[in-house]
Amino acid sequence: MNDLDPVIHQPARLKIMSALCQLGERARVDFTFLKDNLGLTDGNLGAHLATLETSRYIAVEKEFVARRPKTFVAATPEGRHAFSSHVAALQSILLPK
Amino acid sequence: MNISPDEAAQALKEIEASRSLMRSAIRSYRGHLYLWLWGCIWVAMSSLNWAYGQGALTYTNWLSGGGLAATLLITVAQGRQIRCRTDGRFLGVCATLLAFGYLVWPVLLGDLHSYDFRSYKAAFAYFSVLWMQIYMVGGIWFDNYWFWIGLVSTALIVAVLLLVPALFWASTLLIGFVLLGTGFYVRYCWR
Repeated sequence: MNDLDPVIHQPARLKIMSALCQLGERARVDFTFLKDNLGLTDGNLGAHLATLETSRYIAVEKEFVARRPKTFVAATPEGRHAFSSHVAALQSILLPK
Repeated sequence: MNISPDEAAQALKEIEASRSLMRSAIRSYRGHLYLWLWGCIWVAMSSLNWAYGQGALTYTNWLSGGGLAATLLITVAQGRQIRCRTDGRFLGVCATLLAFGYLVWPVLLGDLHSYDFRSYKAAFAYFSVLWMQIYMVGGIWFDNYWFWIGLVSTALIVAVLLLVPALFWASTLLIGFVLLGTGFYVRYCWR
């Protein structure tokens, strides 16, 4: 049986990982786009992204777009694997024993 | 870490809600704008060629050039929110295909201006099929619907050119409508 991942299980991080894993493997999403769509504040999202980045579940890259700094976020292969294992663990809890 | 079945069910609901929210947010980035753009261009090119024959060549070239510029603009504008890492290998394959198709074969091995294409339609078909190879390679590379657009369009163009050339411009018009229709499907129906 798979184990639940405490890093991912926190509700905001669960939302973030679900959203990021919905994107293609080569896609990265803008911080503001993610914040607006998940309904999180700048600080809240930044803190959770830092936690996920420390666990190497996401990659955060900063770039200049039209001379303005922008932050792009993507799920790493490790993060995608951890997320699917976490979902499998949640589903296994619901299975009749 | 242990949680109750109720908590697990709640977490799965939240995951599905977040996925669904993101799905609708990224629906605008699935390529329908490119399909609409090129669908309109194919419809316009086919109509002009049908009406004016080879006299529409200049318009065809301007439409293609404008389409490429608009494609670049859409890519830059959408890249502000969701962007994909540039795939050098894919771009290399596209460049190789285009270099062969536009330079090596017609100019170096043949002669673009004097090469005996059987007709203007055959020349149009040649360059159309060349670009459809890009769709097919893209579809195989990124595992998406581009492959089928390229394959169906290539098969239709070649078959109609060889079997019923009188319907050639009608078939390219049809490809334009197929691109437009696929754009609507991708935008509004695809989950």
